[in-house]
This record gives sequence, structure tokens and C-alpha cells, in this order.
Amino acid sequence: MNETEQKLRNEARTLLEQGRVDCIIGYETGSLKFTTTPLITKDKDDTDRLVINPFVVNNLSVFLSDVDGKAGIVAKGCDSRSIVSLIQDQQVAREDVVIIGVPCSGVIDLDKIEKLIGKDRDELDDIAWDGDKAVVTIGGAKKEFPAKEVLMDDCLSCDMPAPKEYDILLEEVGPLVCDNELSRSRIKELEEMSPEQRWEFWENEFSRCIRCYACRQVCPACFCKRCFVEETEPQWISPLPKWQDNLIFQAVRMIHVAGRCTDCGECQRACPVNIPLRSLSKKMEEIVDELFQYKAGTDKDTPPLMAAYESEEAEDFIR
Amino acid sequence: MNQESEWEPKILGFLCRWCSYAGADLAGTSRKKYPANIRIIKIPCSGRIDPLLIIKALRLGFDGVLVSGCHPGDCHYQTGNYRARRRIAITKKFLEYIGMEPERLQASWVSASEGGKFADVVTDITRDLKEISPNRLFTDERDGTKAAE
Repeated sequence: MNETEQKLRNEARTLLEQGRVDCIIGYETGSLKFTTTPLITKDKDDTDRLVINPFVVNNLSVFLSDVDGKAGIVAKGCDSRSIVSLIQDQQVAREDVVIIGVPCSGVIDLDKIEKLIGKDRDELDDIAWDGDKAVVTIGGAKKEFPAKEVLMDDCLSCDMPAPKEYDILLEEVGPLVCDNELSRSRIKELEEMSPEQRWEFWENEFSRCIRCYACRQVCPACFCKRCFVEETEPQWISPLPKWQDNLIFQAVRMIHVAGRCTDCGECQRACPVNIPLRSLSKKMEEIVDELFQYKAGTDKDTPPLMAAYESEEAEDFIR
Repeated sequence: MNQESEWEPKILGFLCRWCSYAGADLAGTSRKKYPANIRIIKIPCSGRIDPLLIIKALRLGFDGVLVSGCHPGDCHYQTGNYRARRRIAITKKFLEYIGMEPERLQASWVSASEGGKFADVVTDITRDLKEISPNRLFTDERDGTKAAE
């Protein structure tokens, strides 16, 4: 247990003891090696299980709508953006949430580590940050990797590792090692293809989709109580397993969350058939930025993107 | 319908009831000529347009979709067309990114007095769509052609 973790546990316990929150949403150690799992609790003794490490991958803001009363929530920079976005959309009231900002040096992508080392994660003893290097311990020997090689793709384009909106900040954090070019390398590949090739690429990817809707369930921006895919009158997408309808589901989902999506990458991680959904969500974030100079979840006092307008803005496509 | 030159694009038009639909009406009563390729659905306001409606039309096999509303500042509900503009802007860019031809999604501002403009818009869109192939993107036909290869 490190110092930050101890601070976090103390803060969480105090919040519950003083009755400032009804529950705490945080991370605890997962059942598999190098994983964490969400911990939602009303019991102050459970706060001793809270952890902060390079594997706190989930975007916990998705649970805010599920809990009753006031919630204390552990938030990295990206999570705080999602929370702010929910506040903008009036899904959560600012006074109903106590944001415990935690420092984040980026989340480590275990798949990348496994690839680099050529060993299964179960064979590794320890993975930890040392400055901007990830140190992996295997059987007493230590290997160092630069952050760029082991960070999650979405962390590579992170420009807000510390939360801007918070009630408690555990520790200041320096800027992350960023490489936006590397983060969007897949998008660049797609952009260089012809439209037909791109369509074929997505046709191929979405042929695998089993419509489990995990991407939608983990998405804090997807907060509709009833999604269009479940509507039957009219039935927007066919219940038959067709790639066209799989693609429509995802394309419309991406358009619906435009201006709310913070590119947290949870949809891609949740996907059981590894569809590169970030290549869609990240691109959408770029489109929104290019057209409207808008970045989701950065200012709780501005109206949501799609609820606002300027009288003069991009309309060169309109006849 | 074997030859490509005989192919006629099918266009779905979503027209706002206050401006563009009246504009289309005026085109008719003024006996302006425009291609019969467009099928029109009257909507209360261009702000009614959910990108889902556009994509669903393409899925059903329409070759192009036109969304038309009041000029900026003229919306009957003050702001509906501004909201539609944002939505259509991102939808168009996004669909282009996944590989759709940009010509398939069209938008226009047509007021109730612009019957001539409506006829011009439909003529131009039909011409542009004829230059690209029939829409097989989202349709089941695409699977059929693939299987035949």
C-alpha cells in the first residue's frame, strides 16, 4: 500500500463517517492479477479495500446514476470529465457528488506488456511506475519500458491527467507522457484508405459484433433509459444478426454521444470481439473539436454541445 | 434497369412544415419542373431530425437523403434549424469517415417563397447522385453482390 492509497482510504472513511456522502464509488483489487474492479459501498470498513494503482481502468462515473443519495467518487482526470459532462446534461447534480481527485500517470495496457515481454501476465511478479518508465519485475529481474510503449492508447492522447473539477485532490500530478500521433495511428491509417476500403474495413469489423451492448452499458455518456435499438415501434434495427444493423447501432450511438464522449476508451475495452471502437469515438471527438472547438466535460457551466448553437457556424455543406 | 444510365436515384426528403414543405408546394403550384426522384416526408421542424432517421433511410435503400428547413433566423420555433445544423454537420463528417459518399447526405435552407430554389436543389442533388453508384452501403443487396462474386 502506498501513501496515496492510505490518503484515499482516510478521506473515504471520513466522508462516510461525517455523513457527507451515502456511498463511496472506488476501485478494489480484482480477482485476476493486475486488475481492479469497481467497489461501491456504504460501509466505512470497506474503505480499507480501496486501491489506486496503474490498473484502475474503469470509468466509474457510469455508476453515478445507479446509486441513491450522495456519492463520493474516485476520479482520474478522464473520469472527472465524464462526471462534468453528466452534470452538464443534468444527469447528476453537482451537490450530489463529492469528487475525490486522484493523480494518474496513465493506465497500463497489459496486452502491450505481454507483447513486449512475450510472457503471460500470470508469470509477471510486479508492474509499477517509476517516473515516466514502467518497471516490470519477473523472477527478480527488472525490465524498464518507456511509458509510450505500455500506456493505453487513450491515455496517450490525454491532456488532463489531473481532474479539473474536484472536491478533494489527493496529490498533484505532472503532465503525462503524451503522443497524440501514436494514439491516433489507427485513425490515420483509416483516413489514408479510399472510402470503399474504409467501408469494407468497418463491414468486416462489425460482422463480428454480437450486439451484447457492453459498449453502451459501460459508457457514461449513454444514459438514455430506453435505447433506440430496443424500440419496437418503429423497429430501428433488425433483430437479425446483420452487420448493417450492427454498424447502424454503433454509428448512431457515436453520433448520439458526440459532445459527451470524452474518449475514455471504455467501449473498446468492454468489447468482447475487439472491434476498434476508439477509432470511431476518437474521430468523433476530433470532428466536434474541429467544427465547434468543443471539448467534452471541461466546463460544467457551459451547455451541452447539442443543446447549444452559434448563429454563425459551419454550414458550407448546406445548399 | 440494366444499364447504369437508366438508373434513377431514389431520394428521401425531410422537409420542415413551415418553410421547405411550403416551398416544395410553391414549386408545384408555380409549375416548376424538378425530377420525380424525391419522396417527401413532412416534419414539424428540421430540428426534429435525429441522425437515426437519416441512417435508417440509407439502410432502407434510399440513395440520398435531403434535410431541408428554414433559413437561419427564420425557424418557426426560433432555434430548431440551428440545432439541426450542428447535428447534420457531425453526421455528415462521421459518415464520410466510415466510408459513405458525401453526396448521400444533403441539406438545404429553403423558405416558403423559394419554390424555384427547391426545384433547383432537387435537380442538383439528383444530378450529383446519378454520378455516383446506387447505394449499396447499408442495404442487404450488398451481401447479395458479395455472395455472387
